[in-house]
Amino acid sequence: MAIEDIKGTFKPELIPKETGGDLDDYEDALHVLMKFMGSMSSALEQVSGRGANAIVYQAGKRMGHESAKMMDKTEDLEKALDEMGEVLGHEFYFEKWKPADQNSYVTQNENEVTVKLLFMDCVVRQTLRRTGLPQKGPLCYLLYGYTVGAVEEVMDIKGKIDIDHVGPNACLKTLTIKWSGK
Amino acid sequence: MVEIVIDEDACVGCGSCVEDCPNDVYEMDEAKNKTKVVKVEDCMACLSCHEICPAQAMEHQDIHVAKRLYIDRRVNHVLERII
Repeated sequence: MAIEDIKGTFKPELIPKETGGDLDDYEDALHVLMKFMGSMSSALEQVSGRGANAIVYQAGKRMGHESAKMMDKTEDLEKALDEMGEVLGHEFYFEKWKPADQNSYVTQNENEVTVKLLFMDCVVRQTLRRTGLPQKGPLCYLLYGYTVGAVEEVMDIKGKIDIDHVGPNACLKTLTIKWSGK
Repeated sequence: MVEIVIDEDACVGCGSCVEDCPNDVYEMDEAKNKTKVVKVEDCMACLSCHEICPAQAMEHQDIHVAKRLYIDRRVNHVLERII
């Protein structure tokens, strides 16, 4: 397909009002970025080995802390998860999940609380599928870091996320909050 | 509530879904040598079973279907014309 050169007049005041593209351009841009992200993640893993996950997790965590700075602080896990949902947005739509025979979403063990989160929509998963890469790699750790960073910022407490299962339509993760650590 | 329909004519009884499901939603029906759904209430609609099933013998109803923005819409338009 030939690339069309579109001529027009540029005025500085148009910058916030006009994007200069349509849905097809957005799609193209998204897919190019997906491919770039996929290649970067794959190369990072090749060069740094398992250390890649730690680096990317840290980057995501910093991003999560930054994004959640404006959110209300709370010690209520339910409220924190709602706020985390706002930070992550529609592209990382998640819900709490529990097996049918478990009474509560939240389980308390000594000084820590765990809750299972089912991530249904996920741009990371879509990027991996676009580039043919396996799940649980560095890009997934970017999202884990992002999630943990957001929760830590909102609750002012230490947290971590573990992967229970990854699938093509949803991924199950366990969020652990440690009450003792800040 | 999720509902899983198994196409018994298509199921080859390989048991891949039984092994792959993290929540033990499926079991093998030894008499029929087919998969059967035993704990649908624990299905989280991850669809790993769909991916692993060589016969595409199952259908999940009333689930959140994740966005698939990785699919090129132009490819879809071409496919729509063919199918």
